[in-house]
Amino acid sequence: MAQSFLEQARVLDFIVHLQTRHTVYAPHRRGQRSFAFEKTSDPAAVELDYPRVLGSVKKYFLPPRETLMDFDLKTDTATAPQVEPVNAVFLGVHSYDLAAVKRLDHNFLTGKPERNYLVRRQGARFIGVSYVPDKFHFAGSVGIDPYDMTGSDVFLTRHPDGWIVDVLTGEGAALLQGFALPPHALPKPKREHFTQHIYVPQDSLGRILEASYDHPVWNETARSCLSCGTCNLVCPTCYCFNVEDQVAVTGDSGSRERSWDGCMLRGFTEVAGGEVFREKSAARQRHRIYRKFKYLSDATGQPWCVGCGRCTAACTAGISIVDIVNRLIRDAEREEKITA
Amino acid sequence: MANKPRVAIFDFTGCEGCELSQLNFEDQLLDILAQVDIVEWREAMDDRADEYDIAFVEGALSTPDCIKRIHDIRRRSKVLVALGSCAVDGGVNAIKNLHPIEEVRAEVYGKDQYLFPTLPALPLSAVVKVDHNVRGCPMTQGEFLRLFTALVMGKQFAEPDQSVCVECKLNENECVFERGMICLGPVTRGGCNSQCTNFGQYCIGCRGLVSEPNLAGMAETLASHGLAMDEAWKRLQLYNAYRLQGVRA
Ligand code: SF4
Ligand code: SF4
Ligand code: SF4
Ligand code: SF4
Repeated sequence: MAQSFLEQARVLDFIVHLQTRHTVYAPHRRGQRSFAFEKTSDPAAVELDYPRVLGSVKKYFLPPRETLMDFDLKTDTATAPQVEPVNAVFLGVHSYDLAAVKRLDHNFLTGKPERNYLVRRQGARFIGVSYVPDKFHFAGSVGIDPYDMTGSDVFLTRHPDGWIVDVLTGEGAALLQGFALPPHALPKPKREHFTQHIYVPQDSLGRILEASYDHPVWNETARSCLSCGTCNLVCPTCYCFNVEDQVAVTGDSGSRERSWDGCMLRGFTEVAGGEVFREKSAARQRHRIYRKFKYLSDATGQPWCVGCGRCTAACTAGISIVDIVNRLIRDAEREEKITA
Repeated sequence: MANKPRVAIFDFTGCEGCELSQLNFEDQLLDILAQVDIVEWREAMDDRADEYDIAFVEGALSTPDCIKRIHDIRRRSKVLVALGSCAVDGGVNAIKNLHPIEEVRAEVYGKDQYLFPTLPALPLSAVVKVDHNVRGCPMTQGEFLRLFTALVMGKQFAEPDQSVCVECKLNENECVFERGMICLGPVTRGGCNSQCTNFGQYCIGCRGLVSEPNLAGMAETLASHGLAMDEAWKRLQLYNAYRLQGVRA
């Protein structure tokens, strides 16, 4: 569709334009060196040039904590809180996070559809932005480059003087209505280079993982892994959760609460009777990697990792998903050479 | 409930911060009191009863007299709950165990040292069976309420066993390692809603360790973020000196 140009000097006006009609979520500074999506009140606080946000936009569709049900034990009744569509504009989303939303959509639509997620997803419109890969991104290796517009209604590509604007959907066109932009003719931005790569495509990776079940890398990684769960909790495609009932001190009412969970946590596989069926940290690490590059991928043909680099960037023990996977690839190639 | 549970509250070696924080429940205190009969509570009343449905015990054990008393309390209690880091893990008291006990006595009591018999500090569980823990220094109030409710209702209580990082991530905090601090969150038992890191402070580990901590890995992580190895283990010992005795590789 049409391409136009947004000068840097008009970015604030553009955000104000969006705000007059919509709730706008966008990246803001968080802490000293980080960024996070927040509801925009001051347009000047929005940061469109950022390496990654702490948590992805997933948090708006699958909140970190949510009440599934309130119950009253005196009357033996329960009510589910009203779930509302998010119905907002997400400004400044990176391509890999949009790819992650697509994967979550698949997860929550397949099998028994997850009502709360699907209701919240309604009315979400996305304005993607390009980014410059840092030392953790490897989205290029899973086929998502920084200019990938898939999933965006409008896409902003960085240009030295502002942003090249691509309108991709009717919803996107509606967002720009009343905000005139001069047309822009194509000089394609130069491709950004990733410094991190996974060295084989997904179809080979599935086979390599299949053969790497007993690889020493799992035990070696377990020596430094703290089983803290961070790598799961920051991942934009992780969707596991725990459900617990909370009862008021008076003992006559309470609520059923859901919160994010993760397969790296020892208690994740604890079942009635205290049995933990992935007791070893090595087995949990293997499971995590298989979840990203094998189990769901065998079924869909797509890696379930979108290359955002969050798990590696956030791991205090310095464990890198790219290093683990490349180690398996290297050893598998070596093996093939020996047996060939 | 026909008969209200008879509850007693005791304290051993600690700062009594845990008990005081019970008195701080304000809006919930009346609800709590309505559910139980408090039959013994040194800090708030002066009554004595022989048997308790639930005994809440604060503080570490550090004298021969403590050991006698805790056996007595255990005998008289159906359910015994350790309140706070000192009772659960020995807490900061157990740091003294790192030094010869005679030195500790001389340092603390000077010329009066022989008037005060003292032992290495022990968590309650080193001497008697403990049914439940409420962790934290001071104890985490929300956890006390969850346990209290479960006990009064006769339901199971699931003690949290995941890292502080979990709640820290649910709260979408910037990790303090990003700011050049070091943090014990990865091996410390969550359940406090990461209340320190929410304010940009590092976790000092007051809720004790998760059930299967990778201690060598944590020490390595701290060292890789600039602490000398000895310092790294000292950090881990602050609240875990008892559990770490003889652990360091
Ligand atoms: S973030 Fe790192 S230390 Fe924590 S569970 Fe994941 S791999 Fe292990
Ligand atoms: S596995 Fe790691 S790099 Fe891949 S999507 Fe999840 S957080 Fe990002
Ligand atoms: S600040 Fe501490 S608790 Fe929070 S994620 Fe970092 S290491 Fe974990
Ligand atoms: S964050 Fe750490 S130090 Fe703070 S209350 Fe929780 S366990 Fe204790």
